[in-house]
Amino acid sequence: MKLKKLLKSGLALGLCFGLAACSSGSKGAGTDAGSEQAKTENAESSQEKKAETDGKEIELKIPTYLAGENVGAVFFLPQVERFNEKYAGKYKVVVEEVVQDSYAEKIKQLAGQNKLPTLVHSPGSGGIDTQWFKQVILDNDMAYDLTEFGKENPDVAASWIEGSKDFCTVDGKLICNPLIVLRPIGLYYNESLYKPEKDIRDMSMDEFMSGLGENKLAFMTSENAWTSSLMLAALIANEDGGVDLLNNNTSEKLWDYNTPVIVNAVGKLQKLLQNNASSNTVGAAYADAANAFMSNNAALICNGSWMASEFNEDAKDKWSNGFDGKDVKTTIYPGNIALANPKAYGDFWISNAASDEQKEAAKAFLAFRSSKEEIEAFILAEGGNAPNIKHSDDFLNKLKENDILYQLDQSMNENTKFVATLGDIFPASVADTEFGKLLPKLIDNSLTPEQFCAELTKKAQEAKQ
Amino acid sequence: MSSNRKTAASRLERKNYKWIYLFLLPSFIVFVTFYIQPIFTVFYTSFTKWDGFNKPKFIGLTNYINMFGNTAFRYSLKNLLLWSFIAAVFHVGFGVLVAFAIFKKPFGWKFTRAVFMIPNVISAAAWAMIYRFMFHDDMGMINNIIRKFNPDFHVQWFYQSPFAFIAVTLTWLFYAVIVTLIVLNDLFAIPGDLFEAARVDGASDFQLIKYIQLPLCKNAIGTSIIASITARVAMYEQIALTTAGGPGDDTMNLPVILVKSIMDLKYGYANANGVIMFILGLFILWLVNRLFKMDESVY
Repeated sequence: MKLKKLLKSGLALGLCFGLAACSSGSKGAGTDAGSEQAKTENAESSQEKKAETDGKEIELKIPTYLAGENVGAVFFLPQVERFNEKYAGKYKVVVEEVVQDSYAEKIKQLAGQNKLPTLVHSPGSGGIDTQWFKQVILDNDMAYDLTEFGKENPDVAASWIEGSKDFCTVDGKLICNPLIVLRPIGLYYNESLYKPEKDIRDMSMDEFMSGLGENKLAFMTSENAWTSSLMLAALIANEDGGVDLLNNNTSEKLWDYNTPVIVNAVGKLQKLLQNNASSNTVGAAYADAANAFMSNNAALICNGSWMASEFNEDAKDKWSNGFDGKDVKTTIYPGNIALANPKAYGDFWISNAASDEQKEAAKAFLAFRSSKEEIEAFILAEGGNAPNIKHSDDFLNKLKENDILYQLDQSMNENTKFVATLGDIFPASVADTEFGKLLPKLIDNSLTPEQFCAELTKKAQEAKQ
Repeated sequence: MSSNRKTAASRLERKNYKWIYLFLLPSFIVFVTFYIQPIFTVFYTSFTKWDGFNKPKFIGLTNYINMFGNTAFRYSLKNLLLWSFIAAVFHVGFGVLVAFAIFKKPFGWKFTRAVFMIPNVISAAAWAMIYRFMFHDDMGMINNIIRKFNPDFHVQWFYQSPFAFIAVTLTWLFYAVIVTLIVLNDLFAIPGDLFEAARVDGASDFQLIKYIQLPLCKNAIGTSIIASITARVAMYEQIALTTAGGPGDDTMNLPVILVKSIMDLKYGYANANGVIMFILGLFILWLVNRLFKMDESVY
């Protein structure tokens, strides 16, 4: 009996403490992200006060996905260190690691609570879609105008790509730090399996397709069907009027795909998927497609310059079946097409709600990132092309050392046509899920190209409602 | 005398009211904050055009009209109907069968019960990934076994019509341990006298099941059916991580539409979808309660 009483009392006490703990926990919680942000804000405001009172350095906390295991961390984290070293005693950037898949959701929640961090990744990166950015951030004037920043840093402003600068200018305000580097997306091929008769860039799409023979492309249908969507963008760009179709719809998105340009391109994609797709294409996610290429099961893969590091000797553990990174060559698409969208929102934007000290630190960081030295270091690390920066010989020599990045750089000439990807012109759900979901039906002939486009249009219209 | 006792009892009750309400208060606060308020928001915003940030704009029944005109929604309802039938008959049926087998306490029954429990401690998301590999055409176990008998067999289970529906169904069909535990609990609660009396009257094993065990487990089976069907209404991970509702809309369901609507910043539409899920849940509860007469005592 005594034991029972003791047990009852213990349980009752446990319940009381549990409730008390829950209630105190939920007081400041709201969401984890919110409480973290609140803590951040407190820390920031105390830092600011401290800086104001004793003139000490301003701490700028940047939540970013360019940390941890993310491939972008390799360049971004040392860059932050360089900044901290240069501005020691004045500014200090502290990186808060956020998983890439959660970044957009976190920013959306913080925007809802009006607790945005000072520096935020631009839409198009980190999963933040442009539609949300327009409806929430721009419509509510939550982005800081960087026009003055451009005037204060003429070298930086001179490096901005004109198309991006125009795109980032909304109602006379510069709402994002525009692009300086374009990272054109081309394709990689394994020369031990496939030797094109001439540079793929100089081929027509029909020449390219007929010259493939039995060679396979690493396509995918799962996730956002990234490698397949890149090829479709290149196919569209090779149709009459395709370049304009892709480049003129980045702002308002494309909602109707029942046009001959897209139907023809989808017809060609269907042929490629049926005749030249790696055996694991149906259901393949990005990792499967990459694996098909790096195991000699596919001779070609469409992807950006960031994949180049996978072909270095230090990534050898990912190779199998006799694959050798040295055999990999890169170029752009037939018809001299490269996928790159200059009409984009750049890299970062600053929250209007941040304090002046925080904005000052953020602008200093943006100016640092946009300096010629940092831009060149970035290109050497991740590839790309900065059309408004005159490079030194030293830089060009270093670029030559990275064979693949140099090849990609050299594959573009003055006649290269840069076009947007499907992700830039399709509404979010169509680009991220619907396109890939319909591909298996295109492959097994359940849908003709016309029906595929009609289905995709239906999905886009439903997304619009 | 009795009136006095009644008054005294009432006074005692009244004296305890403040304590009763005090102890009820935390639950009430939790209920209002985490259930009533969100449900109210879902209902209210389902009649609005809302991007999740700016002020919702009232648009009447537009979201519902659009939803019923949406092919993915119609596919979802069809799929839900089929999955509900499969859940009620085969999933619950299998769970009940295992419960009856274990109730007989054959050799190794405890081990069987523990093994049967294992899938339940693995998350649905992990299972979805495991199934993706199991059903993989090249390296999957299923196709490789089939190819031992038919070397030309190639099916992309999760990405080909009509196999995707079957593959998604198989990711949950046989994991019926909750059903087994609920029914087993009721089976163990049946008084031994009933079996003894039936045996004395010459009842066979089958008659024991038909006339004693099944009727006395009626409520447990009804509860299992409710749990299984409502789990199908809310099923997300198994689909999102395998087919994402495809190919086309073959395996589409309501939660996938809901998440997709949020991706497109259509929170009002997503919540209209949520309202339909809520109503379906209540309807299932009402229907199964009626069919199984669950408010009546089985003893």
